Amino acid sequence: MKITDACIYPFPSGDSSVRRMALEARSLGFDRLVAIGITSADFYGIEVLNGIHIRDTTLKDLVNRVRLVRDRNAVVSVQAGDNGFNRAVTGVKGISILRGIQAADKTAFDHVTARMAADNLVAVDIDLSPLISGRGVIRQRAIHRYRDILVLERRFEFPITLSSHARSVLEMRAVREISGLCSLLGMDSPDVEKAFAGVDMITTPPDLAVKVV
Amino acid sequence: MTIRPPTLREKRRYILISVEPSGTIMERKDLYYAICDAITSLWGDVTAALILPAVISSEAEYMIIRCRRGTERELSLALATITCCRQNTIALRIIAASGTINTLRERIQRLHTPDTEPVSPNEYIIGEKVFHVQYCSGQKVDLIEKGFKNTNRLFLTREDLEEL
Repeated sequence: MKITDACIYPFPSGDSSVRRMALEARSLGFDRLVAIGITSADFYGIEVLNGIHIRDTTLKDLVNRVRLVRDRNAVVSVQAGDNGFNRAVTGVKGISILRGIQAADKTAFDHVTARMAADNLVAVDIDLSPLISGRGVIRQRAIHRYRDILVLERRFEFPITLSSHARSVLEMRAVREISGLCSLLGMDSPDVEKAFAGVDMITTPPDLAVKVV
Repeated sequence: MTIRPPTLREKRRYILISVEPSGTIMERKDLYYAICDAITSLWGDVTAALILPAVISSEAEYMIIRCRRGTERELSLALATITCCRQNTIALRIIAASGTINTLRERIQRLHTPDTEPVSPNEYIIGEKVFHVQYCSGQKVDLIEKGFKNTNRLFLTREDLEEL
């Protein structure tokens, strides 16, 4: 299991280079990063995966853009929209993560979408930035939404990923701190470990015990 | 008020933190207010009263924070939510926790890294902006934009500078 931060934005989106973020991630206890807009590489012993974040798009454009992705190791993620969009997204082949669920409306992620996400191995991302830098209502709303998603996760067992959405080394947090923040969402240690390994689950899906012929 | 005998005193714990970015000069009072704000926002006034935080000492980029024994977890989580202090973007990294200040002071002595080679040249042009080297330690190099206000800081490595 590799402890992974599922989303960072290195320079030019942020103020820190990918190497510096990898260096910081190593000292914070991570094994792997998903960096948006960076080609996959290894820096200072940290595996950096190419992340593609698609947002503000229609389903048709989304399917076309996913088809154009040539990097096999790329982790394609989509910004969550309304319920219909999210259901459709979880059915599109090649999409790995559904992000920004805390910012979508209340009914954006229901039990049907959860079941589809579990069947198609699409992870739901838990963005910790509202918990770290948000205050008041923003943080409360994010905690409420994540708790709701975790109820569905326990029922349907779709993958969960944890991300800091850091645009700077100053926004990155240690594994221990992230575990502590996850405890605010009602996650215990095995849940957090599973969530840290969420990217493993979507990049190398487990072999099925029974093959349907 | 007379000082209580040791057996009747409250047990305290001390947490050693480092303030990033390196070279940030911060008043103890400012950090105290930032910590109190973070604790109150995350846990509320009741828990803040139980934690009883205090900034004990600051040595270069290291600071020692005091809390009541048993509330280290709450304090460390609140420290993780501190992102700025007096409009400066910062991050607090927890290094160690101890029952005595002395142990943490010894730890600070051991943490001091030897001076590394300075980076040359001292100035770089990135995207039509001029940056100069603010701090370097090991592989890490921090650049700061030249100017009086709204100066951006870039966090790079020596390898990044070689590629520029």
